[in-house]
Formats: sequence, C-alpha cells, structure tokens
Amino acid sequence: MPSMTLLTQALISGLLAGGLYGLMGMGLSLSWGLLRLVNLSHFALAVLGAYITYQLGADFNLAPGISLVFIAPSFFLFGVGLHWVFKKFKVNEFGSLLVTFGVAVLLETLIQWFWTADFRRFESPWGTVSYQVGPIYIPLLETLACLTAMVLSGLTWLWLNQTYIGKALRASAQDPEIAAAFGVNHARQSYVLSGICSAYAGVAGVFIALITTLSPSQIWSWLGVIFAVVIIGRLGNPLGALIAGVAIGACEGLAMAVFNPAWAPMVSFSLLIIVLIWQPKWL
Amino acid sequence: MTQHRFQVPVVLAVISIGMAFFPFLGLPAFYDSFLYIVFYWVSLATSWTLLSGFAGYFSLGHAAYLGAGMYTSATLAAKFGWPYLATIPVAALVAASLGCGVGALVFRLPRLRGELFALMTLAVTFILATVILNTPIDGGSGVFLSAVPPPQIVESQSGSIYMLGLFMCMGSLTIAWWVSKSKFGKGLFAIHDDEDVAEAKGVPTYRYKMLAIALSSGIAGAVGGVHAIYVGFLTVAETFGIAVPLSVILMSVLGGARHWLGPAFGATLITVALFGLASSGQTILGRAVVAAFLIIAVLWLPEGIVPAFLQKLKRRQTSPDTSTEGARSVHGDDLTHQMKDMVIPEKGMPKVTQEQKVILEIHDVHKLFGGVHALAGATLQVYEGEILGLIGPNGCGKTTLMNMISGHFALNSGSITLDGVLISGLPAHETVQRGLARTYQIPRPFAHMTALENVELCALFGGINAREANDKANYWLEFCGLQERAHVLPIDLNLRERKVLELARALVTQPRVLLLDEVMSGLNPTEVDTAIRLVRQIRAQGTTIVFVEHLMRAVVQLSDRIAVMNEGKVLMTGLPEQVMHDPQVKTIYFGQ
Amino acid sequence: MSQKLISSNRRVVMNTIAGGLLISTGMGSLHAAPSGKPIRIGGTLSLTGPLAQTALLHKIAGETFVDILNSGPGLLGRPVEWVLLDDQSKPEVTRSLYEKLITVDKVDLIVGPYATNSILAAMGVAQRYGKVIIQSSMGIPKLATYDMQFPASPFGPNPGVDYPGVILDCVASLPQPPKSMAVVTSKFPSAQFIAEGMREVGKQRGLSVPLYLEYEFGTRDFASIAARIKDANVDFLWVGALGLEGNQLLEALKKLNYSPKIHYYLYPAPGPLLASPEAKNALAQTFFEDHPPFSTRIGVEKLSPMYRARAVKAGVPYTNLDSQAAGTYNVFYLLTKAVEATKSLDDKVLAAWLKKNTVETLMGPISFNGPFNHGPARMLVKQVQNGKWVVVWPKDVAGGAILTQ
Repeated sequence: MPSMTLLTQALISGLLAGGLYGLMGMGLSLSWGLLRLVNLSHFALAVLGAYITYQLGADFNLAPGISLVFIAPSFFLFGVGLHWVFKKFKVNEFGSLLVTFGVAVLLETLIQWFWTADFRRFESPWGTVSYQVGPIYIPLLETLACLTAMVLSGLTWLWLNQTYIGKALRASAQDPEIAAAFGVNHARQSYVLSGICSAYAGVAGVFIALITTLSPSQIWSWLGVIFAVVIIGRLGNPLGALIAGVAIGACEGLAMAVFNPAWAPMVSFSLLIIVLIWQPKWL
Repeated sequence: MTQHRFQVPVVLAVISIGMAFFPFLGLPAFYDSFLYIVFYWVSLATSWTLLSGFAGYFSLGHAAYLGAGMYTSATLAAKFGWPYLATIPVAALVAASLGCGVGALVFRLPRLRGELFALMTLAVTFILATVILNTPIDGGSGVFLSAVPPPQIVESQSGSIYMLGLFMCMGSLTIAWWVSKSKFGKGLFAIHDDEDVAEAKGVPTYRYKMLAIALSSGIAGAVGGVHAIYVGFLTVAETFGIAVPLSVILMSVLGGARHWLGPAFGATLITVALFGLASSGQTILGRAVVAAFLIIAVLWLPEGIVPAFLQKLKRRQTSPDTSTEGARSVHGDDLTHQMKDMVIPEKGMPKVTQEQKVILEIHDVHKLFGGVHALAGATLQVYEGEILGLIGPNGCGKTTLMNMISGHFALNSGSITLDGVLISGLPAHETVQRGLARTYQIPRPFAHMTALENVELCALFGGINAREANDKANYWLEFCGLQERAHVLPIDLNLRERKVLELARALVTQPRVLLLDEVMSGLNPTEVDTAIRLVRQIRAQGTTIVFVEHLMRAVVQLSDRIAVMNEGKVLMTGLPEQVMHDPQVKTIYFGQ
Repeated sequence: MSQKLISSNRRVVMNTIAGGLLISTGMGSLHAAPSGKPIRIGGTLSLTGPLAQTALLHKIAGETFVDILNSGPGLLGRPVEWVLLDDQSKPEVTRSLYEKLITVDKVDLIVGPYATNSILAAMGVAQRYGKVIIQSSMGIPKLATYDMQFPASPFGPNPGVDYPGVILDCVASLPQPPKSMAVVTSKFPSAQFIAEGMREVGKQRGLSVPLYLEYEFGTRDFASIAARIKDANVDFLWVGALGLEGNQLLEALKKLNYSPKIHYYLYPAPGPLLASPEAKNALAQTFFEDHPPFSTRIGVEKLSPMYRARAVKAGVPYTNLDSQAAGTYNVFYLLTKAVEATKSLDDKVLAAWLKKNTVETLMGPISFNGPFNHGPARMLVKQVQNGKWVVVWPKDVAGGAILTQ
C-alpha cells in the first residue's frame, strides 16, 4: 500500500500538471463551443510557440515571459487570419476540422524544416526548482502554469459573462439567427475570440517549452487527453476546461502512483466514460 | 433511378474480376503491395463513413475496431495455431461486438451525440489499447507473426494479400452502395439531418444505428484481420495511434462522407499522393503539399469532391430549376388560384355528436420533468373527423401533451389510445405506423434532402412501400401546392413553403389523426387564410385534426370544438362560442 | 540555427566527392578511382516520425562509410550508391519500400532499417526474395528467424539473460555493491524484455527488487513514477529508458529533491544525458565509444572526424561517433567485407561466407555461427564522466574506472 506521502505527492503533482492541460484546452474549448469550429491546429500552434520560445531563449537569451510578448500578439493575428478564412469560405464544423488538420500538418512541417526532428530542451535555471512543504515538493514551473491557467480562465469567464462582447458571443453560439436579429455583430466579436484562442495557444506553448522536451511529433500526443479535457469541461466554458484538466491530471497522477503506470490511461478514460454516461447534475 | 439499380454492382463486379488478374501480370511484387495499401485505406474509410458520414455519428475511434481485428487474428494465428483465413471472420465478429457494445451503451442516450459520441469512441480506443498492452494479449512484447503460414490464395505472398485486400475493398464499396440506396440508408441520412424528427417519422433510429455501427466496426475488424499478416509484427503503439482515425476522417470528408464512393476517392487520392511523394524521397515536403491540397479542396468543395463533381454533372444535364424570385411569387398566386377552384367545404361540417366515435383517448396523463409537473392528469377525448383546437396560456402543457401523443416522451402515468390501440409507451417511430402524424412549430425538414425526398422518406417509413412512395409524395406535394419546388433543398424555401412541406410530410402517410403545432405562426393574414382552407381540405379527406394555436382568429374559424388547458390539466372542452365566452377561460388568460 | 537539415532526398554519392576527399584526407598513395556502373545498396530509415532523431545518426554514419569507400578503391572497383528512402517510422511503409527497392528499383544489395519493428518488416521482404539483410538495431534476437539475417551489433543470442548479468557484475564491482534495486521500464518491446531479465537475474543474485514499474512508451509526465522511486529509495535504479525518458525521469526526481545513488539507462539518446547536470555518473548500454581501445580499431581513425564533420553540418547536437552510428557503419562494413572476400554480389554466396567467418570490426570480432546468427555477446556498460561517455565494463575494454558519488 503506497504511503500517504507518496499519494499526496502524486496527487499534488498531478493536479499541477493538469493545470497545463487546462491551459492547453482553453483555447480549443472556446473556439469549439463559441465559434463552432474544431481547431486541430491549436496543438500545432502551441508547439510552435514552444519552439519559438526555445529559439528566442537560445539565440537572444530571452526569458520566456518576454518571448510571450512577441508570441501572443503574433498568434492573435494568426487566429484572426484563420477566422477570416473560415468566414470567407463559410466553413462548417466538419470542414473546420479538415482545414485545421491541414494547417497543423503544415505547421509541423515548418517546425521539422527549421528545427529538425531532434529533441530540443529549453534549459532554464528554474527547470527543476521546487518548494518544499513538509515532506511534499511543489514544482515551480507546473505551479506557474497552473496559476496562469487559473488567472486566464477566470478572466475569460468574467469576460464572457460580464461584458457585452462576451455575452454577445455566447448568444451567437446558441442561436446565430436570433442574435443577429438583435443586432449582435457576430463577425467582429468572433475575430477577437479567434485571436484570443490562438494567443492562448501561444501561452500554453511557452509553458510547454519550459516543462517538456520538444519534438515535432509531440503535437499529436496531446490530442487524446486535451479532447477529453475540453469535452468533459463542456465546450465554451473556460473554467470547465481548467477543472477538467486538473481533475484528469490528478486522476492520472494517482493512478500512476497506485497501479502500474502503464494502466494510467485506462483509469482516466474509464472515468471519463462513467462521467459521460452518468452525467451528474453538478457537472 | 430504378434503371440504375443494377448498374453499379455490375460495374463493381467487373472491376473486381479485372483487378483480380493483376497479380498474374508479372509486374514487380511491390505494386501488389502498393495497391493493397490503397485497398486497405479505401475499405477503412468507407467503413467509417457508414456510421459517421451517413448517420452523422462522428467517430474518433475507428482504430479500436481495426486494432481489435488485428489482434484477434494475430492471437488466433500465432498463439492458437488457427489457419489464417479462418481468423478473419472471427476478427470481424469481435470488432462488431465491440462496436455493438459501444452502441448499446451510448445510442439510447440522446445527450451523447455529436462531440460526446466522438469522445466516447476515442476513450474506448485508449482503454482497449491499454488493456491489450497490459495483458498477455500483447503484454508489451508485441505479437510476432513470422511463424504463421500466410494465406495462400495465389502463388506469391504479396499476391495473396492483394487478393484479400481487393475482396475487402470491393466488399465494403458494395455494402456502402447498397446501404446508400436502401431504405436503411435513407433512414441513416434522415438520422444525420435530424434524429428526433426521423424517429417521429417512423425511422427506427436505435435499430438502424446499431446496424450501422455493427457494419462499420465489423468491416474494420475484417480489414484489420487481413492487415495483421501484412504488418507481421504488431505493437500497441503502432496499431492504436491517432494516425488511423484522423486519416480515415480526412479521406472520407475530402471525398464526400455522405456518398458511398466519396471515401474511396479521398482514400485513393491521399494514399497515392503521400506514397508518391514518400518514395521519391521528399517526405517532409510531400506532407506539406498534401496538407495544402487538403485545405484548398475543403475550402472550395465543402461537401466533398465526389458530390461536388456529381452536382456539376447534373447541372450540365438538366435545365435550371425554377428557383428564381419571379417564379416564387407567380407560384404563390397559383396556389391561391388553385385553392379557390377547389370545392371548399364550409366550416359548419358534421357537428360533433355523442354518436361520433372516439378516435384518440387521452386518459389521466401525468408527466414530470425533474420537479416540474408538466402534465397533472390531462384527460381528453377526440372524436373522429373533428377539428379540435387546443389552447391555453404559456406553460399550460399543450406542447408537452402533443409530444406525449406523438411519442417523443414517455409518460409517467395514464394512457393514450388511438382507435382502441394503446400507443403510449410505444417508441416514437411506431406511432406513425399506427396512423398518427405531427408537424413542428419551427419546421424541421431534413436539410440535405429536397422537398420531394423529404416527403418520400416520410412515406417510406410511414408504411408505404418503395414503389408507391414516389407517386404519393408527388401527389401530396401537389395537394399542398408545392410541386413546383419539389427538387429544391429546404434552405432555399421560404418559411411558408417550409411549413407547407411540414404538412406534406405529415399527410403523405394518410394519418388518421394529424397533430398541428402552431402551424399559423409567422404567416401573414393572406397566408393564414390559405392555411385555414388547406386544413379544412385535409379534414375533408377524412383526417381528424388536433391543433395547438395561439392565433385566436384561426382557432375560432377552424375548430369544431376547443379544449382549454391550464396548469397541466384540460380545464374544459366545448363549442367555440361557449369556450370563448367562458369566464374561467377569460380568467386564466387575462387574470381577474 | 538557420542551417536547414540536409533534406531527406535520395542520397546519390558519386566519385566527384571522392576526388575532393582524396586530397583533403591527404592520402599518400593514389588509388585508381572506382569506375563503372555503381553498385546500388538499398535501405530505409525513419527520417521522419518519432524515431527520426536516432535515425539521423544512422544516416550520417552510412553516408560517411560510403564516402570513405568511394574515396578508396570502391567496391570491387565500382562506386557504391546508397539508395535511401524514408519509412516515416512506420513498419508497413518499410515493408512496401523494401519491396519497391528489390522488385522495382532492383538494387543489388540491401541493408536493414532502424529499430526492431521496421527491421522485422524489412526482414520479411528480404526473406521472400532471398536477400541478405544485415542490421544493427534489432534488440530482440529471438524474433530474427530468417537465416540470411545477420546482426552487425553483438547483442548475442540471449541478451535478456546475458546482459543483465553483465550490468550486475558491473555494479557488484563497486566498493559498495547495491543490495536493493528498482526496475522501471518503458513498454517498448526491446526494453521491456531486458527489464524482465534484470528482475530475474537480480533476484537470483540476492538483490531485493521492491519496485518494478512499467510505463507506456510516450509517457510525458514522470512525476508519479519519480515519487514512487523516491519512496522506494533503493541502492540501484535501473531504467529501461529510450530516447529522452532518462532525462525526463531525472528532472522529475530533481523536483522531488532526490538523486539516485547508482543509476542506469538502457538506450538513451546520447547527447542529452551528457548535458544534464542530474545525470552525473549515469550508466548506459553501448557497443562502442570513441576512445581507446575502440578508437584504435580498424577504420575508426578515419571515420571519427569525417562523421563529426558531417554531424556538425547536419545540425545534430551530439557529434561524437556513438554506438548507434557505429552500428550502421558496421552494417556496411560487414556487407562490403563479404563482397570483397567472395568477389560476388550473390546473396547466397555472401550469406555462406558470413556464416563461416569472423570479421574484425570496430565493435570487436563479430561472428555469426550461434543461434539466430549471433556470435558471442559483447554488450558493454558506459558512464557519464565529465561530459563524456566512457566505457566502464567489462574492465578489459574500459576507458576508465567507474565513478561513484
């Protein structure tokens, strides 16, 4: 039977790791839920952001926070551009899946062209820093990622529920015709949202660079777990994405501490199925 | 359409026989393998589309069925020494059972559609992969098939695998073609467009979905069974990766997921392109080129390449349809003109007397939604041949009662009988067989079918056989004055036309009882008059009509009797003059 | 960093380069440059996909070999051309590409691809067409059932039992031999079966094994596994790691403020583990390292700098000649030795010769007369020492003593 220390440590590490899941999932959840577009290029964009962070750090010794200042706005513009393409060609949900898959592959090709398939690791002095609280160690970077996710999801939630733009977006997502009849200018709002989603991918990318090792094929390894995060957390709900991410991270962490780690995916995804079928009211 | 019926399978058979000679042509064996890979992807993509493209249940878990098939064959052959060909049907069966298991779990839950279903299928894949990885089926060491004697159909091994692949490919294409032309397929397409309405129109949705997933997963399993011997060494990571589900989705949607030939086209295109680029050495660039091509194709041809191509062909062959603005207004006058010519019985039709037969009996029906008592003991008798108006303030339960009668929801207690037969408790798709039909307040036509196809489908699932369905559909479209717009898609119809289409769909099964849900809403006064005339005409044909309406003028003009509901119960019934002046009724509408 | 990867085109290596090399390597005597129709050797590598990082090292080694060969007398007086295709790390693509190479391109000879899965796929094709196939990275010898398959790396026929013995001998020679061991392994076939062997042999030798964990290949998050390792606090941590898993695990351990006392990683990517501060004194598997006595072996003197130059040009972080790269060099070496000796390109003739002969290579003497065509095993243990890999066991080939904390 694993010790309390072990369980607690695994739980905490898992929760924090889940923060990154939530951060990754937020952009996808918002665009899927509010814009009805499944953006597979989100993963590729995040990994690209990670590579850029790595490169700026390697060439110019830029701290990731500063790299973010360059990454976020340029990714925002990318998101706006992507949305322009969707609008111009009146792409539906299915079609968006395909188009963004193509974009993801293009981005992967770009990454492989510049950085080769070799592993890259962003070396930072805080890479392995952690704080000790009793017998438990709390890793710094994962905590930062988790905090960032919390702040962003909180802000986004407020934005969606308290501001006009946010409410307009939600209305348009529920019933585009009626919303339009009430004068909601869906077009402008949706560009802003698309830009924000891509900017969030960039933020996630910065943390991916800090926490994980980079390789182009990493893009596809996120798909399964982030889809789960996004759907359990309910599409379009930033807080939901965060909570789902943290929950899945915690489950995985605990499962790996108690069972043979190779069984971990089974635990998370079985829980997922149970939750989906049972669908408790409080979810 | 019927003359084409046997053309396609004949063509497919001819192609199959022709391609069966390929391994004997003496070409390098590599081409056998290359074509096998094409067959492999065609079969997989086609099997995916049976459920996901046709019925709209988007699955991310096709790798689960493929993997189940691969490991079944591998295990039976390597660990139990079965002759290889015998393992393939078992592989199909195992995969189909898995698919049916998923279906049984998920298909009865209406909230698990769309993206939730997609996620379920993905979760199933991960779980299956983990189980196989951690149990002796694979255990992490992989399954190695070198000791297994490969099937010997023709001389060479690559030739034999080619033949198996060819069989799978042609088999799945034939099945897909047959499904798309059959009543089953039409039902799937209806489910894709609007599952609830399909169910209400008589499509046995659960049964059809299960059949679709069984076929889809079974074919994938068989393909996996063959593929195991091609790959030779199975590992979990390779088999259950994200590449397979993504690729089949891409290929199907690119080629056209709703058309039986679409996935085949997309699969061939992408496989050839990728392989050509890979074997020339330009893999990275090759992927980029294919991706760019994919993006362009989707932006320009959202329904897929094959349907777009067929559309173009059709447009060149037939003359343009009368779908201009001018034609619309002319048609409108036409309708009024026709209506005026018909003998329209006056409202004072057979007065309802006690000797009239009760055709629809609603007895003490209760319905709870969570804590809300939507129906609290509603009792109502509807006489044969009458037009009964159902009114009441918002939230009184009128729409719920309609939904109970048509079978959308199950009731908590009470009973509903139609012509002496108990219909409460029947699944919705069976009520239409019993002679009941309804329209929806906001029209819900099947978006990918023309007006005629919409009505035809309702005829087909309303108990009319395939031969007569087309004729009846045309007749009722004409009755409703919509025959000019028969080949138009609902998106190009205006609101009034869509409402009329709703009526035609309901009428084609010649129901004993017709439920109309706020059919007048959104119509201008002229259109309302026309609608009133139409409803009377329908009753003149012998149909009993129960209609919910807020427009009082129409209620008073049309109804033989009016029933008033309040707070989940039927307050009173009576002649319009009585009801409209009743003080109780006034109170519930206007307060004190 | 604006260097682009040399694109994964078909490499056509012809005499034009050879001429330049002649001068640059300052060879004393002049050979007649190879002439005539090129001998074409076909093969694939996973130039894209998850295995691309290591495959790149194989590619560079192979190209270097061919360069060296063509700068000399060539093979049977003819230049050699390596027809290299990308199998995208997918065994099914490997299979069809080998079929293409053999039946359409009609190459004269073939060499094996990288990694067990692809090798098995290629082997099946080779078997059907009776081609000799020499490979260097097949970690599960008992699956190599084709009798014209030849291993260029001395795994030995039974590494699952023999190699754990070697590793345990190595750590038993320390001043404070370990009494407890944790075995943590990736569920990658060639790592897993050695992990099972470690547990077995470890128990036989009286070590306690309180922790035995398996994780999925592709696991990203090692936090819980690290927590369990810390909790177990054993003397010897053995990890069946591939690629960067060792680094990821060490980082996770560091976050928990834990350093393993003695640690071992099976098949790590060479560069990153050297660079990691947490990997102090880490042990790993190898067949070859670029220091004496290996560096004095046949051909290494020329190979090492040429390989390094190419590696630098390709933008690879770790540019020393390492075990993986040496493997592919050996594949070509053995093949061409057989051809030279028999003056033949007939696969049956070559196979017969190989079976009967022992060849001196940079991995030592290689013979093929055992089960699965394996000769005696020569799997070694190397250690991170001051930013370099140094072989530490067996002692007779060690480049230095084992360092401890």
